[in-house]
Amino acid sequence: MLESTFMTLMKLIIPLYIAAFIIYAVRAFRGPTVVDIILAVDCLSFDVAAFMAILAVYFKSVYLVSGAIILALWAYLLDIYVAKYLVSREVGA
Amino acid sequence: MSVLFYIGALLIVIGGICDLFGALGLLKFPNFYVRLHAATVGTIGGAVVPLFGVALLALGADFLPHRYAIAGASFITGIIVLLAAPAGAHALAYAAHKAKLVEWKPKVDHLKEVRE
Repeated sequence: MLESTFMTLMKLIIPLYIAAFIIYAVRAFRGPTVVDIILAVDCLSFDVAAFMAILAVYFKSVYLVSGAIILALWAYLLDIYVAKYLVSREVGA
Repeated sequence: MSVLFYIGALLIVIGGICDLFGALGLLKFPNFYVRLHAATVGTIGGAVVPLFGVALLALGADFLPHRYAIAGASFITGIIVLLAAPAGAHALAYAAHKAKLVEWKPKVDHLKEVRE
């Protein structure tokens, strides 16, 4: 009974997340400066991590959640490295 | 136990709506520093709230094998995103101000008055 409720919930949730991914990807391709691209890729990675946790319940598999932890840590690493090289003015405008 | 399932489902729906609104703001806002606000809605409202929702939903779901592992790992991922996203956004805004990448016309600029 709870499983059929969850499958009905997924029919509502998946189009919301797919639309958000497409809009983030449009901003990541169109971004005028470096920081806009990095911000869009950052939001995309965090949302893919959340969506992988939802898919782990959908496919009944534990292994998808371990990928979500790595994805969240990778987005933070990308932020910090790009900020470091922008402050020391070795890359970017 | 099914109370936890319905609370988790409600948190996942709220997270999906916040995610869509954050994406629309990131596309439509004019400036990088204004887009940072929409990105905060997209990460905290769109990633942390669904991760906590998945943790509660997996605790309440009876049909799921390994449900305690899924609940604990998604709770840890939510705490990691809750700590890492504001720190990363702050470092990115500081770097954009230091490298003078973005054209903007502020009334006051306290970060410029402190140094130099």
